[in-house]
Amino acid sequence: MAEVKLRNVKKQYDNGFVAVHDFNLEIKDKEFIVLVGPSGCGKSTTLRMIAGLEDISGGEISIGENVVNDMEPKDRDIAMVFQNYALYPHMSVYENIAFGLRLRRVPNDEVHKKVCEAAEILGITELLGRKPKQLSGGQRQRVAIGRAIVRVPKVFLMDEPLSNLDAKLRNQMRAEIILLREKIQTTFIYVTHDQTEAMTLGDRIVIMKDGYVMQVGTPQELFNHPANLFVAGFIGTPQMNFFDCELKKEADNYYAYIGSAKVALPVYISEALKKRGNVPAKAVLGVRPENLILCADGTPNSVSAEIKVTEMMGSELHIHASCELGKDVILRVQIADMSDEEQTELIKRKKFAFTLRERTVNVFDPEDGRNLAVENAVAVPKKQEAPDDSEKSRDNKKNRKNKK
Amino acid sequence: MSENKKFRSKSGKERVTRIIIYIFLTALCLIWLIPFIYLVFQAFRGESRAMVTYIFPKEWSFDNFIFLSTKTPFWHWYLNTFIIALFNAVLQSVIVLCVAYALSRMRFKGRKFLMNLMLVLGMFPGFLSMIATYFILKLFGLTSENSVPGLILIYAASSGMGYYIAKGFFDTIPKSLDEAARIDGASRARVFFRIIMPMAKPIIIYTIMMAFIAPWGDFMYASLITFGHEEAYNVAVGLYKWLDKEHISNYFTVFCAGGLLVSIPITGLFMALQKYYVEGVTGGAVKG
Repeated sequence: MAEVKLRNVKKQYDNGFVAVHDFNLEIKDKEFIVLVGPSGCGKSTTLRMIAGLEDISGGEISIGENVVNDMEPKDRDIAMVFQNYALYPHMSVYENIAFGLRLRRVPNDEVHKKVCEAAEILGITELLGRKPKQLSGGQRQRVAIGRAIVRVPKVFLMDEPLSNLDAKLRNQMRAEIILLREKIQTTFIYVTHDQTEAMTLGDRIVIMKDGYVMQVGTPQELFNHPANLFVAGFIGTPQMNFFDCELKKEADNYYAYIGSAKVALPVYISEALKKRGNVPAKAVLGVRPENLILCADGTPNSVSAEIKVTEMMGSELHIHASCELGKDVILRVQIADMSDEEQTELIKRKKFAFTLRERTVNVFDPEDGRNLAVENAVAVPKKQEAPDDSEKSRDNKKNRKNKK
Repeated sequence: MSENKKFRSKSGKERVTRIIIYIFLTALCLIWLIPFIYLVFQAFRGESRAMVTYIFPKEWSFDNFIFLSTKTPFWHWYLNTFIIALFNAVLQSVIVLCVAYALSRMRFKGRKFLMNLMLVLGMFPGFLSMIATYFILKLFGLTSENSVPGLILIYAASSGMGYYIAKGFFDTIPKSLDEAARIDGASRARVFFRIIMPMAKPIIIYTIMMAFIAPWGDFMYASLITFGHEEAYNVAVGLYKWLDKEHISNYFTVFCAGGLLVSIPITGLFMALQKYYVEGVTGGAVKG
């Protein structure tokens, strides 16, 4: 149990590639932090720097009171769960879990007690005598977690622990991690590329792209007020819709015009724009698919669109359409209330019109992608050249080979 | 019916090809075995100790072995070689495994250069360095009658170059295992001994075996370093002496008997560890 602080942390590889730029984050005690981002965004590298498996090129990482930059992983009092489990194949489950304790010269009877406790928590007591080879993926992952919790570490690191599991098992394990987290009160840092995991698990989420932190915030903040276009597009499925719009001030309030449709911006955005010195005339308006509302043709301030594809998801319908301004849009329509006939009629429709749920819109700067209403928003970074031969990708390839 | 034929596993034509192939392979096998069979027959030949033009002995006896044991320093040479092999098996294995592990896991400046250098150096025949090695060992007083430690030193010193196969094996062990162990509280050395070594059994056995076998067959270095001092000979040098013009007529069958005795520990070891040998050599390629 400890705070983790990262100050201006930077990682640069020998070939000059910068994997992580100037990473700043204060993680509170017992907080569950999720690092999320597309592959190659530096989230795993950051985690590995906290773990001590990767040298830190610049800045400072501290766990609790100690600056750990030059500390060996074993002295940092952390535990880590790996994507490929990394169980010791020649040891039984029991020995796998006990290994860390034995290295710390914990007396035998205490080792036994702790291993049994950990196994109890994870429901793997009957597996203790087996070898990792004889376990299924989910069981292996549980053993890996057991190995981590048995030491009661200050910080619990997880590097995409669920991505090797199939979808059903992943959902189950996700729920178990939430439960586990309630049982063992400690600081969690969790890396994933899956936004659902990020949203459901994290107290706070750190979104990264190309080595930069895009936004840090609660799932709610990230979802409702994404700091820039990247965050807006990354969080939420289907993706947020973006429209080019013009911003106009009328009678002390700001309005966005999408073509001829007029959208009254929420008061907080209007206020924020007023505070800003220079409000761009053109902006990008972002609306989530569920916040586009079907309406009758000819409704004032509506936008008409032609349906390209509909996806029937059961309780909701995803409509992919091309709107009058030539932009592709996605709508997410709740159809649970509709009768079968209404649903069929909707699915077969060719054209429709929609309005925007004004309360939920976000406005972004078209130049650097920043949310105009979020303070200190980070600009979307320009593309950086990817490393062709980094250690990480080579290792991944190797791991994949091993799995076969 | 004709439809059926297509699915039959072997047509007549295929069978003929197969028979030809087997005959060819059998012949190849015999050619391969002839020297060894010849050696065995000669070792048990009792009528004379000279080289003869026939293969099957007229008289079977153990005389050659008795002569070998009582009238020649053969067992002394045998012991020399055995000691060298034993030391080499330990030293070389430790060095090879450490070098291979370091090159597989650690990223340090000059790693690529070092690997390339060893590759290139390995391409030069060993005897290029023979003279220099001799003088260096002579400085330490490890030649002539003290050749046994000298030879151990030579074999061990160059053994790191044979890291390829072991490195290939280590490369297949996921790095995250090392990392997990380091986070669990293990030092680098402990990771190596507690995690990697138990998993690397096949490659350890393979390395030990290679290291043990090599000294039995080394003639070049052993003959140079011992420099005619019979008491320090290994079996290869000692036995080869008997193939001289002046010795061959009296020692040929004894030579064969000695050869047979030399092959025993190696063959035995090989047979016992064959399973691991195959696993070790092909481990890198087909694992997983």
